[in-house]
Amino acid sequence: MSPLFMSLLLIVGLAIFSRTMIQKIQLLMALEPTDRANHITERLKNMVVIALGQKRLVRRKKEWSSGIMHAFIFWGFCILIIRSLNLYGEGFVKGFQLPLLGQEFILGYLYASLKDIMEGIVLVMAGYAIFRRVVLKPERLHNTWEAYFVLGMIGVLMISDLLLDGARYNLIMLHNNPEHLHFLNNPQYGSEFFWTPVSVGAASLISGFSADANGLILTTMFWLHIITQLTFLNFLPLGKHFHVITALPNVFLKSLGYPHEKTRLLDLEDESVWEDESLGVNHIHQLNWKQGLDLYTCTECGRCKEVCPAFTTDKPLNLHDFNDTLKAELFDNADNIIKRAKLAATIKEDGDPEQIEAIKAQMLELNSKKTLIGDVISEDTLWACTTCRACEQVCPVTIEHVPRIMAMRQGQSLMAGVYPQELNVALKGLERNGNPWGIGYDKRAEWADGLDVKKMADDSDVEYLLWVGCAGSFDDRSKKVSISLVKILQKANISFAILGTEEKCTGDFARRVGNEMMYQMMAQENIETLNNYKVKKIIAACPHCLNTLKHEYPQMGGNYEVIHHTDFIDQLIKSGKITLTKTLEGVLTYHDPCYLGRYNEIYDQPRSILHSLAKDGLKELDRHGQESFCCGAGGGRMWLEETIGKRINVERSEEIVGQNATTVAVACPFCLTMIEDGMKELNKDEDIKTQDIAELVANNMA
Amino acid sequence: MKILTTAKKVVDVELTLHVENGAIVEDGLQYVINAWDENAVEASVQLKENNGAETTLVSIGGSDNTDMIRKCYAMGIDNGIHIDDPALEKADSFVFARVLQKVYEAGEYDLVITGKQAQDTDNGQTGIILAEILGIPCVSNVVAIDVIDDANIKVSRLGDMGTEIIDVSLPAVITVSDSINEPRLPAMRGIMMAKKKKIQVMDLAGLGTSYDEVSGGSLTSEVIAFMASETRQAGQKFEGDAVEITAKVVDLLANEAKVF
Amino acid sequence: MAKVLVVADIKQGVLKGSTTELLSKAKAMGAETAVVAMGNNIESLASGLAAAGSDTQYIADDASLDLFSAGPYAACVVDAANQFGANLIWFGFSESGKATAPRVAAQLGSACATEITDVTLDGDQIEVTRPAIANKVMQKVKINTERLVAVIRAGAFEADEGISGTENVVKLSAPAADLKAVIKELVFDASGEIDLADADVVISVGRGAKDQAGVDLVKDLANDLAAGFGSSRAMVDGGFMAHNKQVGQTGKIVAPTLYMAIGISGAIQHLAGMNGSKTILAVNKDPEAPIFNVADYGIVGDLFEVVPILKEEIKKIRG
Repeated sequence: MSPLFMSLLLIVGLAIFSRTMIQKIQLLMALEPTDRANHITERLKNMVVIALGQKRLVRRKKEWSSGIMHAFIFWGFCILIIRSLNLYGEGFVKGFQLPLLGQEFILGYLYASLKDIMEGIVLVMAGYAIFRRVVLKPERLHNTWEAYFVLGMIGVLMISDLLLDGARYNLIMLHNNPEHLHFLNNPQYGSEFFWTPVSVGAASLISGFSADANGLILTTMFWLHIITQLTFLNFLPLGKHFHVITALPNVFLKSLGYPHEKTRLLDLEDESVWEDESLGVNHIHQLNWKQGLDLYTCTECGRCKEVCPAFTTDKPLNLHDFNDTLKAELFDNADNIIKRAKLAATIKEDGDPEQIEAIKAQMLELNSKKTLIGDVISEDTLWACTTCRACEQVCPVTIEHVPRIMAMRQGQSLMAGVYPQELNVALKGLERNGNPWGIGYDKRAEWADGLDVKKMADDSDVEYLLWVGCAGSFDDRSKKVSISLVKILQKANISFAILGTEEKCTGDFARRVGNEMMYQMMAQENIETLNNYKVKKIIAACPHCLNTLKHEYPQMGGNYEVIHHTDFIDQLIKSGKITLTKTLEGVLTYHDPCYLGRYNEIYDQPRSILHSLAKDGLKELDRHGQESFCCGAGGGRMWLEETIGKRINVERSEEIVGQNATTVAVACPFCLTMIEDGMKELNKDEDIKTQDIAELVANNMA
Repeated sequence: MKILTTAKKVVDVELTLHVENGAIVEDGLQYVINAWDENAVEASVQLKENNGAETTLVSIGGSDNTDMIRKCYAMGIDNGIHIDDPALEKADSFVFARVLQKVYEAGEYDLVITGKQAQDTDNGQTGIILAEILGIPCVSNVVAIDVIDDANIKVSRLGDMGTEIIDVSLPAVITVSDSINEPRLPAMRGIMMAKKKKIQVMDLAGLGTSYDEVSGGSLTSEVIAFMASETRQAGQKFEGDAVEITAKVVDLLANEAKVF
Repeated sequence: MAKVLVVADIKQGVLKGSTTELLSKAKAMGAETAVVAMGNNIESLASGLAAAGSDTQYIADDASLDLFSAGPYAACVVDAANQFGANLIWFGFSESGKATAPRVAAQLGSACATEITDVTLDGDQIEVTRPAIANKVMQKVKINTERLVAVIRAGAFEADEGISGTENVVKLSAPAADLKAVIKELVFDASGEIDLADADVVISVGRGAKDQAGVDLVKDLANDLAAGFGSSRAMVDGGFMAHNKQVGQTGKIVAPTLYMAIGISGAIQHLAGMNGSKTILAVNKDPEAPIFNVADYGIVGDLFEVVPILKEEIKKIRG
């Protein structure tokens, strides 16, 4: 078309883009390090399935239509990138064709067809997107001008290309191709235009115009397309559409294995952390680069808000805003963060102490003037989170919300010493008597009196250690679950023992509220006890214990095979060691615990058990399985009063009541407490029985 | 202002205690800071934070009180003294008061703050006796302390009729109720700093006295035996029709328990 | 022969029951009894003090003694003790008693025992029994001094209905005021309400009452019976009941003849406050509630149903 103009556009467009990208990358590199250069194959698989495959959008039953909508826009983009490259080529060389896409190859025709149809689909989807925003107005969406602008640009891109091809068609087919425009024409495959119905349709819209007019349309649409695209490219890093560039890397680099990156084991003996205030995240520059990338990648879809139990019940935890405010704070301080990192790099370990002091003083000056918790994020926001991970489950670009909340809580608990003081009772209880209620440790095994349960201290030569947990040991209601579980294990002749008074709280809630000190103390003591007894296999009655023992203790030298009691019972049933009678009457439903489902992916085993029990099968709750709604006790919230908004457990209980259930099965002592309390508050505790699966099994064993 | 506060190491009252042959079974017991003294320590630290007071903690008796005193350092206490002498295993409130007197006289304190009672003896006498011996004012069961100036404080006391607001001239002894404050969980910073701080450990001789002197020749009282507490037993429980069972119970209250 | 000086328990010009209880025990031990009373305008109480079981009444009546102050009150007690030649000096269980007793002991050079449940005198050997370690154990304590100053646990001694004494008033001179601890103000606890510590019947409301309507329902019953109206911690924390109404380990310790726990689960902290009651009645929806482990009579039921029936039935019985 015009090599000069094309060059100019490309040079300017790409130069500006490069500059922006370099700045953005520099900023990430100035943040804290983290290691993600591992498990490449698994990472690729994630990227293909979640990012390329749009799994979280198209495989989600809820809002499936909007999922498809976005998926096609995205896939369209992927496909149309090739077209764009071709167009750039044509800007330099008339008739430019990318290799393998010329008229000799069937691929060329297939691509032409695919491109054509996708352009039509993308246009329709963009239209649908605008329709949703303007007419349907889903609550989770933010109707910003940016959203409409981008949808508009997508529309322009599609329309301009279609009209471009339309004009081309007209010139070639109606006006005898005066400019000798190139098109695919192969005796074997025929004319290109057989394969491209959409642009042919577009052509008919402008077929009434003269050849000159069509020629003008062609040229105009060409440059309009190029300019819009380069503008679009440069617009991407400026807002939520940065995700177009960063989503694939963000998914590639996400945490593996355990739902998310293990909380970094803090070296509490290290004194330098007090100078840098680097225990937890206290300043925006203490985020690591992956967390920075998370901030860049938020698409502002709002799904996180929608599923968040805190937000749903009017707590001020708006995860979209959380991301947004952190991002704003990051960008506000971008220059200083980069400067600071440069200064940090000049510090040599064996350098002159005075010089180092001077550099550190300069670095201090570059800290953000706003307090991270206080000015940027409010305390109520930070502490409202129950760490349920529903947000992480639905995020299409795998943003990791929970670890950064926990890191900020760490900073508050350990460095600032500012955290809900109600937690002190539970923390002190942990310290003194190894349980959050502060009940004498000597009473930990009283629940097992008269049940003939072995203690490790008497005989540690058993196959399994049954980890009872604090609730199962001290809470009157949960003790019944422990007793049921023992009955089941004894019926199945399982060789097991309990630690009894040697068992201490795993420290789960201490870690969730950021008190690494208390967590590490409990972990160390427990690991020592477990290792002394050479424990290999553990059955855990509580998903929080399960989670900590299985995924977090290895960090401190505790490596055990840990299985949840529902998983174990399922195995017992399947291997015939116990048989169930299908005698449970009424409407049975199941509440998936967050720490069993989302954290440990155990959804089927409890269901398999319940199906064997219930006469009339299992009725699923609306929010079930991966999208189960939290009971409200996680993240340390069990020990805190809910003073804002509606009670989370009441919200969930209402859902259960709405299903007309007569029994709700649970698999976690927190859930048991919260849902039973919820039923009491709704005055439904007579009508609806809340039972742990162990209790249901014990009562229905043949 | 210089404050002297106390921390007694007592058996953890959350544990179940067993009595055998007139003595408490020691096996499995753990020892912790007396809860009321924890309130006293917190009150002292708050006075340090709000009024710039210097705080000294003294722990009398018990062995290996290092962890406990370190925790108090972590809360904010400036100086710590442990009077560690095996003779003190046999002591009554007067002995503790006299030892406290010696510690008090070795320094120049304006205010002594102790818990209102110790969780092991539940006597609640030591602080008051100390004041009597020293001839300085004492207010017990205090729920609020306000500093007026270097020589005067205003305290609120929970009395029988209500809350008494009392002006106290220093030096004085204050014993505190648990309603006065919620003792803080020591911040990590404090715990790390506390690890390096020294604790002054001395026996009675080191304090410049002797058991004879502090016991006044003989103890005023001695525990000669422990017995199990009488536990209440469950009585009669009625379930069923509300009208029926309530009527039955009222009848029993009148004719069996004879309360009406 | 034992000579027991009982410190009279006087609140707002009214002589309280513990005085009779302590004097009854003294008489039962065969001791000579006297009473010491400090206050303002209390001379008229002399006959009551005698009727409570004392044979001598030491009265310090002065405007300066209107409000409690440990120093002057202790001085009066010491004065009376010396004049009477008392070897046992007893206080009822009160904050003023607990604050004064150690001073008296220190001044007299005698032992001091707090919250005793029993006392024996074998010749010259005094022995007391008392709870310790948060009421988990009982101690037998040997007293090595000739005299003993003691604070008696609420309800430990039983009042003898038929007790009597002789009016024999000895005026005590007003002691010097304590200039170093001056009471400036007394903020009364909700006055006009029945004092939990003295009431014969105490009815406490717990979380089962749910809200103000439930609290009012139980209060109604308390008013009917002219009973003290108390609360579990939950209702105080919930803002339904005043702080000074809390019965429990960190609140008031009561030992009435009849204690009704309505909608209270029976946490250990609450039990610590009312375990000493003579008869305990519990009403709770949950048959497994721990309160039933200590209640003499338990009604498993919804308090909203049961309390009105209780009202009716009690009214019938009392006429």
